[in-house]
Amino acid sequence: MKEFFLILPEICLTLTLAFIVAGEITYSGERVRLIGATALLGLSGAFIQTVISYEYGPAQVFGGVLSIDGFSLFFKLIFMILGIIAILSVSQSKEIAPGRRTEYFALILASTLAMSLVASAADMVLAFLSLLFMNVISYFLAAYGQRSVRSTEAAVKYLAFGAVANALLLYAFAILFASTHTLNIYEIHKALILAPLSPHVMLVVFILCFLSLSFQMGTFPMYILVPDVLEGAPTPVSAFLSVGPRAAGFAFATRLLIIVFAQPSSVPGHWQVLGEVNWTEIVSVVSGLTMLIGSLLAFRQKGAKRLVSELVVAESGFLLMGLLVLDEVGIAALLYNLVVQLFALTGIFYVLAFLFDELKSDHLSAMQGMFRRAVPECICLVIFLLCLVGSPPMPGFIGKFTLIGAAIRHQRLALAMVAIVSMVLSTASVARMSYHLIGHFREASSSPVAESTWRKMLLASLIIPMALVGVFANFVLSWAGQSLGFIFW
Amino acid sequence: MNNHLISMTVFFPLLGAILQAVLPTPRSRWAALAASVCASICAIVLVATMQANNAELQAIESFPWVGSYAISYEMGIDGLNALLVILIAILFPVLISSEWDQKTGARGMHGLFLILQTALFGAVLAQDLFLQFFFWGLSALPFYFLVGIWGGEGREKAAFRSVVAASLGDALMFAALILIYYSVEPHSFAIKDLGGGKLAGKMFDFLGHPVSVSTAAFALMSAGLSLRAPVWPVHGWFTEIAQEAPPSVVVALAAGSVPVATYIFVRVCYLLFPMALGDATQLIVGVGIINLIMGGLCAASQRGLRRLLAFLCLSEVGIVLMGIGSLSPTGLVGAVYQQLILGLGLAGFGLFAGIISERTGHSIFLNTKGERTFGGIATTAPLISVFAGIVVASLIGFPGFAGFVGHALVIIGSYSIHPVTVMIAGGALLLASYYLFAMYRGIFLGKPAEGFESFQDLTFREKAYLSPVVLGLLFFGLYPKPLIELIRPTVLTLLSTVK
Repeated sequence: MKEFFLILPEICLTLTLAFIVAGEITYSGERVRLIGATALLGLSGAFIQTVISYEYGPAQVFGGVLSIDGFSLFFKLIFMILGIIAILSVSQSKEIAPGRRTEYFALILASTLAMSLVASAADMVLAFLSLLFMNVISYFLAAYGQRSVRSTEAAVKYLAFGAVANALLLYAFAILFASTHTLNIYEIHKALILAPLSPHVMLVVFILCFLSLSFQMGTFPMYILVPDVLEGAPTPVSAFLSVGPRAAGFAFATRLLIIVFAQPSSVPGHWQVLGEVNWTEIVSVVSGLTMLIGSLLAFRQKGAKRLVSELVVAESGFLLMGLLVLDEVGIAALLYNLVVQLFALTGIFYVLAFLFDELKSDHLSAMQGMFRRAVPECICLVIFLLCLVGSPPMPGFIGKFTLIGAAIRHQRLALAMVAIVSMVLSTASVARMSYHLIGHFREASSSPVAESTWRKMLLASLIIPMALVGVFANFVLSWAGQSLGFIFW
Repeated sequence: MNNHLISMTVFFPLLGAILQAVLPTPRSRWAALAASVCASICAIVLVATMQANNAELQAIESFPWVGSYAISYEMGIDGLNALLVILIAILFPVLISSEWDQKTGARGMHGLFLILQTALFGAVLAQDLFLQFFFWGLSALPFYFLVGIWGGEGREKAAFRSVVAASLGDALMFAALILIYYSVEPHSFAIKDLGGGKLAGKMFDFLGHPVSVSTAAFALMSAGLSLRAPVWPVHGWFTEIAQEAPPSVVVALAAGSVPVATYIFVRVCYLLFPMALGDATQLIVGVGIINLIMGGLCAASQRGLRRLLAFLCLSEVGIVLMGIGSLSPTGLVGAVYQQLILGLGLAGFGLFAGIISERTGHSIFLNTKGERTFGGIATTAPLISVFAGIVVASLIGFPGFAGFVGHALVIIGSYSIHPVTVMIAGGALLLASYYLFAMYRGIFLGKPAEGFESFQDLTFREKAYLSPVVLGLLFFGLYPKPLIELIRPTVLTLLSTVK
């Protein structure tokens, strides 16, 4: 019975999804539709359930297939909040037309469910299936703008890359299963400690896994499709994709790398590489490259969505820095940054979606003078952007500090320098974008955009939690740290 | 004693800035002014209640902020920052009233000024490196909007350049900060924990070479700050802002942000890297002299008030740097004192330049043929001429005005380095008297230029906001003793750590 209680959030999401699908099938032209409200109710219920789950303590359920621990609960909370924001933020969107919102809500709910499963999967088959589930939903979401060529192209590219990445993961899992005869990652950990693989095999397994994970996390070398997908997808979908599947990728990567490829070291709260292959060096190079590539490409972009997408790539590189140091402080920093990005990225894409609806273009030159027409939106956009790249007074800065600090504590000075350089580059791209927003605002002749209380409230409900994450950084960091303490329970 | 006076000083303006978002326009101005004045009253009370002859930090407020990284909210006041608190307290109510009739987006402008006031108060009073950097980083952002929105023709470019320079400078400082933080055990940001030679002898490996932490951090910190205060040769963004930004914003930058940058340099470098500073004094004085000379020469060839102000600021920073590098009590007291005076002097200069360009539509006082374009304002508008005269006299360092005290102390102090520096500094100051008097004569005295007839004298509002600046310049020049007494104990303690 306890197992049943522990997966109540997932059950709640599944039921809501079923209700929505049933509601859509039986729809016969009623004027009042409660699809959005139902979805919100389901997500809120799942959210509350997740919070309550903290009471039960960590547990492995259904024969160790799912691991409901602090780590997975942390991510589940992020995903539920993201789902709620995703549903609230389309209420005035023109890209997601009112007539087609039901599908969108259903996809968001399904994706949230899939991501929750990814975050708590402790079994290779379930992990693979839930990753696949999540990716398939993401392809649909990316292709949601049916009439747009770019959206379709993005989805096809996403599908092609996803197929390759998942096949690679399957190979890696097959090798692991063949040598350990178990599917549970905790069991694999024990088996590998008893009978380590030869370094060559371990290297191959790691590279296969990491290539696949780099697709999920959006890091080098699979970062290439991230800007295409985020640019091509409808903007509200970009907001969801830039945070959700990426965070789920990091959740799974953390769990897999820490449990299968590392072991606790003699120092409490630290891990060390399992076997002779020092894969942290590989990850370190990947992290540096991702940061540099992302921030350099962002500097050259002419489209706002693409610019932000390149920044997202750079951010993934930053997050890897917290993972590769293999200690609790670093991973807590990673989690803290994910919380900051949850609000910053959804905020950025929300304003971009609004601008796109107004201008029918996300070209930087089209945005000139927007500042005059929509003052609060543009100010919020600049604040979100600055927070994302970690400009000093923003919460993102505390996040960047914790990540770079993690690298320096482990004597990775070169990586820390690359991080600081790419921080400056990212700030410069953000400055370029703000320059386009604010520039020529006196010459802009068009009338101001109609004010909307709803929009202001939504922006406030993103900016206020973001500021609170900075002010109560200590609380969030310790919460993230505690979430990690459970990873082995 | 803990009456939270410091927190009130820092956060009153922020409250005002938040009010700007909700109040309608005519009422919002009063809210802005009230918030700024309240903060200033708290600040003045804070300085007035300081104990004399006490070198220690006073009115300390301290509680942990991000405990897991040993970041604390720690604020305190001592002789080094007391004068800057006075400066910021005077400056911002003046700036807000000078933009009282702003037509486009008055609420936004006042709100940004208030955020800037919070940031500068915070950066000056913070005693934790992270907190200080936090406020210092915050102080860069309002300028971007202030220049980018309310600036002149080339405002976007100027704003862009300034934000790039600032973010580069902040990144360098950030690198220094991280380096310092991780080189001490237990990791700490509190200035009091890091002082006292804690960093001496610490090394780190960089690409296989051992590097001294204090030397590297000192270099990064100085480079970072030199991108936020105009230091030759990386002053391009500053002159561009001076050219494009509205006068009040130039004043906020030259008289607010620049002295704070030099203050952070003194506070951090004297306390944290006394050894590295001791080795680099020649360099600091050298940079100071170059600034003084280049600033003076460039200023002498200007025909517009805006660029003149920019290069004046450059040479004033040079004087402060000379005082900082002199390592003598007189020189350092002079440098700290001069931070306040250069702020007030440049504020006065910027404000009357603003009034002139508002009335006449430009601020070029000599045309390309070298003929004057204004002239004879003194006959029609005596009051502004007197005010401007006091400001110019103080900037030159005329005896009896505030500038004299600061300049004299720095020059006397710098004698200990080398007599030649005194001669160079004296020469540069003579040059300053030449070009400032030439400017004054060209605008206020003589016969009016053709086509330039009447000039309306100061209105009541202008009198009201120019008076605090001018009275400050007069008062601090005639009776500098209480302030010098306030600085001296802290400066002596600081210097004893260096030697």
